[in-house]
Amino acid sequence: MSDLELITLFVFNIVVYSVPLLYATCGEILTEKAGSLNLGVEGTMAVGAIVGYVAGCRSNSFLVALLVSFLAAALVGGIFAFFTVTLQANQNVTGLTITTLGVALYFFIGKGLSGMGKWPVLSSSGKMVKGFKDLKIPGLSSIKFVGKAFFTHNILVYASVVVAILLWVYIEKTIWGLKLRAIGENPSAADSLGVNVNLYKYVHIMLGSGIMGIGGLYMGLNMSGSFEGSNCWINGYGWIAIALVIFANWSTLRAIGGTFVFGFFNTLIYYNGPLANQFPNALGWLRKIPSQFYSALPFIITLLVLIMSSVRKNSLSGEPAAKGINYYREDR
Amino acid sequence: MRNLHLVRRNDVKLWQRILFYAVGIFISLLIGAAMLSSLDIDPVKYYKQMVTIGLIGNKYPEKAIEGLLKIFVPLLIVSLALSLSYRMKFWNVGGEGEFITGAIVAAIIAFKCSSLPGPVVILLMSLAAFMASGLIGLAVAVLKVKFNTNETLVTLMLNYIALYVITYIAETKKKWNFFLDDESARPKFAKFPDAAKMQGIKFGNVTILYSVLIAIALMIIIYFYLRSTKQGYEISVVGDSNDTAKYAGMKVGRIIARTVFLSAALIGMAGAFSASTAATISTSITNNVGWTGVIVAWLAKLSTPGIFAVTVMISVLQYGCQAASVSYGSVDHNFADLMQGLILFSILVADFLLNFRIARRKEADNV
Repeated sequence: MSDLELITLFVFNIVVYSVPLLYATCGEILTEKAGSLNLGVEGTMAVGAIVGYVAGCRSNSFLVALLVSFLAAALVGGIFAFFTVTLQANQNVTGLTITTLGVALYFFIGKGLSGMGKWPVLSSSGKMVKGFKDLKIPGLSSIKFVGKAFFTHNILVYASVVVAILLWVYIEKTIWGLKLRAIGENPSAADSLGVNVNLYKYVHIMLGSGIMGIGGLYMGLNMSGSFEGSNCWINGYGWIAIALVIFANWSTLRAIGGTFVFGFFNTLIYYNGPLANQFPNALGWLRKIPSQFYSALPFIITLLVLIMSSVRKNSLSGEPAAKGINYYREDR
Repeated sequence: MRNLHLVRRNDVKLWQRILFYAVGIFISLLIGAAMLSSLDIDPVKYYKQMVTIGLIGNKYPEKAIEGLLKIFVPLLIVSLALSLSYRMKFWNVGGEGEFITGAIVAAIIAFKCSSLPGPVVILLMSLAAFMASGLIGLAVAVLKVKFNTNETLVTLMLNYIALYVITYIAETKKKWNFFLDDESARPKFAKFPDAAKMQGIKFGNVTILYSVLIAIALMIIIYFYLRSTKQGYEISVVGDSNDTAKYAGMKVGRIIARTVFLSAALIGMAGAFSASTAATISTSITNNVGWTGVIVAWLAKLSTPGIFAVTVMISVLQYGCQAASVSYGSVDHNFADLMQGLILFSILVADFLLNFRIARRKEADNV
């Protein structure tokens, strides 16, 4: 493999590994902007992934897979909203329980179907395979290096960037976004201005969770839909997304770049060896760094960002002030 | 809709509470039963096997008791420890990381100090794990007190950093890595020397490990610590309101730092106990106890006797599902997690119905 080919493949894979993170991060940003810290990302993605995958294969339709994984995950978000908004339950506990429950449900469905010999195989569903196939963007894909690395991906990759941009416009430039941000900053002030706080919270938590579900489906398809009894498809990405929200300073636009940075480390886990072999002089040191360090880096970086921003007292500018605090109208 | 609103109520009687919770748990079991039926499993049979934790028809029932206790001890200590910091509304969700830290530190002592007599080694392991995890907790608490750093997110990140540290140790076959078995070609954690293995007292066929007795003693101590000591009182005042505590002349920062240190330290100690009981460590040593502990502490409303009761219930659930999975191939131990989640959610609904009532807004309020 030539030098350029290897680097192209490396960058190509960074994109492949980043995309589910971008969906999950965008979903969580939307949720947190509504003042809710949802620690259930991992479980929400797991449910969206498996339900959407099975439904898509059964009906032999990629669109059904997308729709079902969005709706299933949005329903999980609805449960989070029901408990934290309507029932005023603690957000941390509810979120962690969503993760426990969601991952357990993933294994229950997967084990159950496999046990009965009914687990759908991806290759038997032609439409699903076709829907997830890499698409060359005419013109752009023929650019040297950049074309292959960025413009020969499946449709969900391009869609993720569109989703991130649309959400940024929605949050920053529309009246609904303004109201949403107001709720995240100070729900009682927003309430007194006539914003229906609970409705906004419900809508955005559910929408955010639905987007996470698409990220989950992507991960399942990226694993070719093979169910393993011990490892969940999501494999900790939900937690990285929670970290990424902080790194991206609650901006879905910055999340695109942030995701690429975290995806870079995630891809190095597999490419440190090949890169070191190809460039023994320049990158030989890569081999000396254990791959677990790259796995831990997103969390280490986020930890440092959290500490430094609080020490310097300029709390991260995008952070919603009322994040994590339930709004109980009668306490106003 | 708009003229209905929620009113908090404080007139709930104990029997109402018990009734609501019982109904909640029953509904969770019904949902679980429906799910089991969908896999063509007879739920009554499954539940029977789960609740009896495989005791019936087992040639070695003492193994079941010992297995149950191996789940019970870490869960009890971790839940108690978490409840300490939750009482001050300090969201330590770092149970996983603190547990792993404790286990790693305990393993270092086990391998390096094995020439000492048995009880001393185990004492040292526990103490070292206690201090190491405690210091991590202390650091998080200091950040929170001094700079208002978000403790939920910090402890969350630390969980994963600890997980990758132990994964690194587990997968790196190098000369310096005394954690691994020299004889195995593949990286594999070595067994602890005999001196580092948790001992116990034999009651007939059942061996009750010292860690079980210590956990029970710890629970009783924490009960009285919270109820009858000055420090326990301070924790409850800080939990009610930081400002009240400040006006009462309490050093709030100090109280938080001390309590979170204790909370994390006890979790580390539980990690040392688990390592010593298994006489080895592994990347899955926590068995998710850091997460389950949050659910247990919350289900128990942070009350110490409540935590004991819930821990017994969840341990039976977890061990029972493990035992039942022997006869049911398509349902594994994850079913216990599913039930835990369902039970927590139904208890949250029950709490809501107990603590709030829906009232019609008076005309005068509606202007």
